[in-house]
Amino acid sequence: MKATNRTLRAGTMLAAAFTLAIGFAGTASADTTLTVWDWKNGDPVTADYYAAVKKDFEAAHPGVTVKYVMQPHDQYYTLLGTAISSGQGPDVVLLHGGSQAKERVSALTKLDDKVADIKGTVAGWDEFTGADGGLYAVPISIQGFAVYYNKDLFAKAGLDPEKTPKSWADLSATAEALKKAGVAPFALGNKEGFGADFFLSAVAANGWTKAQQDAWTKGDLKWSSPEVKAIVQAWVDTKGAGWYADGANSTAKFMDEYESFERGENAQTIGLISDVAHWKEFDEFLGADKVGVYVMPPIAGGDGSLKLPLAGGIGYGVTKFSPNQDLAADLVKSFADTDHMKIFFETAGAIPANTKVDTSDTKSPSAKVILAWLSDGVPLAHNNMSTAEVEEWHRQSQLLFTGETTVDKAVARLDDVQAQSKKK
Amino acid sequence: MAAVERKQKRVLWAISIPMAILALSAVYPIFFTINAALKTRKGFVLDRFGLATDPTFANFSQAWNQSRLSEYFTNSVVVTIGAVLLLLLVSSLAGYALAILRFRGSKLIFTIILVSLMIPVQVVLVPFYRTMIALDLINSRAGLIIAYTAFFLPFSVYLMTAFYARLPRELFEAAQIDGAGLVQVWWHIMLPMGKPALITLGILNTLYCWNDLLISLLVLQDQRTLMVGIAALRGEYTTNVPLLAAGICLAAAPIVIIYMIFQRQIVSGIAVGAVKG
Amino acid sequence: MTSTMIAKETESRQPTAGRRSIFGNNAHRLAYLFVLPALVLVILFRIVPLIWGLGYSFTDYNGMSTPTFVGVQNYVAIAHDPVFLDSLINMLILLATLPIWIGLPLVLAILIHQGVPGGKLFRAVYFFPAVLSSVIVGAIFNMLLRYDGSFNAALKAMGFSAIDWLGNSNTALFSLIAVQLWATFGMSLLIFLAGLSTVPSDMLEAAKLDGAKLMQTWWYIVIPSIRPIIEFAAVVTTIGMLTSMFGLIYVLTAGGPGTATTLPEFLIWLEQGKMNRPGYASAISMVLFLMMGGLAWIQIRIMSKNADL
Repeated sequence: MKATNRTLRAGTMLAAAFTLAIGFAGTASADTTLTVWDWKNGDPVTADYYAAVKKDFEAAHPGVTVKYVMQPHDQYYTLLGTAISSGQGPDVVLLHGGSQAKERVSALTKLDDKVADIKGTVAGWDEFTGADGGLYAVPISIQGFAVYYNKDLFAKAGLDPEKTPKSWADLSATAEALKKAGVAPFALGNKEGFGADFFLSAVAANGWTKAQQDAWTKGDLKWSSPEVKAIVQAWVDTKGAGWYADGANSTAKFMDEYESFERGENAQTIGLISDVAHWKEFDEFLGADKVGVYVMPPIAGGDGSLKLPLAGGIGYGVTKFSPNQDLAADLVKSFADTDHMKIFFETAGAIPANTKVDTSDTKSPSAKVILAWLSDGVPLAHNNMSTAEVEEWHRQSQLLFTGETTVDKAVARLDDVQAQSKKK
Repeated sequence: MAAVERKQKRVLWAISIPMAILALSAVYPIFFTINAALKTRKGFVLDRFGLATDPTFANFSQAWNQSRLSEYFTNSVVVTIGAVLLLLLVSSLAGYALAILRFRGSKLIFTIILVSLMIPVQVVLVPFYRTMIALDLINSRAGLIIAYTAFFLPFSVYLMTAFYARLPRELFEAAQIDGAGLVQVWWHIMLPMGKPALITLGILNTLYCWNDLLISLLVLQDQRTLMVGIAALRGEYTTNVPLLAAGICLAAAPIVIIYMIFQRQIVSGIAVGAVKG
Repeated sequence: MTSTMIAKETESRQPTAGRRSIFGNNAHRLAYLFVLPALVLVILFRIVPLIWGLGYSFTDYNGMSTPTFVGVQNYVAIAHDPVFLDSLINMLILLATLPIWIGLPLVLAILIHQGVPGGKLFRAVYFFPAVLSSVIVGAIFNMLLRYDGSFNAALKAMGFSAIDWLGNSNTALFSLIAVQLWATFGMSLLIFLAGLSTVPSDMLEAAKLDGAKLMQTWWYIVIPSIRPIIEFAAVVTTIGMLTSMFGLIYVLTAGGPGTATTLPEFLIWLEQGKMNRPGYASAISMVLFLMMGGLAWIQIRIMSKNADL
């Protein structure tokens, strides 16, 4: 018994020493390594794209290793924050276009000189442009909001599956017809408040003038102004009119909402054009010929034309503290390279930011429609809000649905948050 | 009297029905997870609760190979074993000093350790990260071992101290008469006597280290542990539930097995730690 | 070495040993050495970051530029931040449910100890949810609790109307609490079972001979005899309630609807990560820490007593 105990204890000590030794041995570093942080590279659909970038870059730069680190998306900005605040971490980072990128430009390298040669071929720079007008990340995808609909359910409600709503009145009539047929007009998930973001951006897109969009971005167009308040009012009214399936506040937009659309439980959904919840995925579930797509009409205003709200989706930037500035910038450009972007488009179904990518051989009817819209888009309103405003809109949109607040109270509160974040 | 007992028996039988339902609910997630892991992504979206009629093992191999869980598995094993052993070593030494040796300031030290038990991880995230960088412990498994030890130490020290304080002092007095040194007393008496508490701590800390996400994310950025790999299976928008479920099965299996083996010891170990005589 | 033996030995121990070391004064230097590794680790990685974080809370730190001292500005701001105030209220509601977190596993433990049929199996099985990560627990309850989920299907089948468990401000927090309770009660159950195993069985037998009713036996004999362990479980549970709900909140409600399920822990994550305001987040953290301080004081007293210091 005593002997066993002694052996056990000796073994324990040995094992401790062993693990510590292994632990320390793991710290040895190679020669130049470029570390990339994102939340995408482990995704099976993007695997080919990332492998191609790595292979080509390492072949062109002997002695350099590209190291992808995929972070869980929910902790991504927390981790990035710790890395930035301590001035040590990845060389290249992925960012969402809009406020998430713009609020972090002081930690990123200005890329204007380095990307001059690709500036013309890549689109979506606005979302990654700092207040100083400098470019801080290279967009790799274009993101936009389109309304997808289920042609079978349109037919079931006696609607022409090829005729899409062109005005708010059309849209209301469509919703009424669908309701009569016992079909929920829209799938809606607002658990995180994303449903409200999509609604705001989609409805504002063709209702606001260019000047109003600019004022919105600067924080000068208040929530209580008629253009904005009308959308908040419509958010409540459409719920009252029974446009949405019940339980929106407890339905996650990703992917509960889209999965119910894919199961054919609702007729329409405001979806994306890249990554997920897009033509490629809906085609797969409903059949390419059963999926239709249109641009959300405005409540009022606009010039009658319907343009797709779009923006640079995600983009790679170089951190200021990276010791390999030039190499990192090269790698960032390699992500947006035409050949690589082609793989990105074909395997992940993302609309590439690189306009040179040949997308003519795509078979999806909705993809063709979307690609034709790309040349002339309008801004994505919610991308140009401060993060604090976005978060508050998430909360207020839910309370408007539960009836715990009114439109007047909600816009008053949002005005406050908007004013506060503008001050900073 | 017999009637009373019979009645009690009947009451217990009646009560066991809701308890059995609760037990079923506790087993259900395991069934659900395994069942989901056997479906394809499309099959899962179309029918989430039904039995996997056409089981596929592709998710397991994908999680293990493409999602590199096999690689992360090694990291998790090394780091967990290292941290648990270090925790046991440090906390049994500290417990010995605080409970048996008692010196000026031991109460203050014990209080400091208990206060640190109340600090939520989120509160110290950024400063903790900067401390790790300052000590050059980022991106090394040794760094993570030390970080785990620091984070889970307060509870362990508390339990060891409480446990040792309850042992009969005659044991050590006898040892002292024998002229044994403190180190020998620790080695020959404290460690063997502390076995029940050490086993409990071993199990609990294994669970904590194995399941930890946040500390590992911060410290081991380039190599990853299993839980981080699993968390990363949750995409920005989509969660491929079958793939995630397969990953969770792979990651939870060792813990479930360890728990089944040591179930009894956990119970008795906690008892000695927590009950005041 | 079984627990019962230890407990008995403990009882038989004379309280005359006093507070002084039995190893004479020379041993002290070595004792400091023994406690040093623990102390260094705790101070370096927990206490120092805490003080550092306290420093941040008086700055406008945004994670990038050099922090500037702004005095108590952050504290004034959070005092006027409706989201923070809501999160405090939610925290108080959560804390108010503590008796259920203790009572439920306690009753179950007593039943198992009383020899409920199938008790051994229950004991093994109840712990399973505690082993699983909150990601999978969240994923499952998401599907059960959603508006078109299984719970509502059952309600409708019984003729009731559906409830939006996670989407209604009145039910969301309680649904969340119930799920977390379900996921963690196995741990407290084990602690209670362990405590019960030290209650001398002749005490129970004596009660039975007196013809005491089951309920009375529990209330007057069993529960008082394991009071210390109940206090201990309360401490462990409270810490868990305040610091480990993030995973479930993230998956099940994302803090909503509105602020209905935003707990301080979740708000700190939001401000620190998404909103990129570590200075502000630090101030919230410090307030949370101070509030826990009051709680901590009680807890430390209980724990010190348990450790016999």
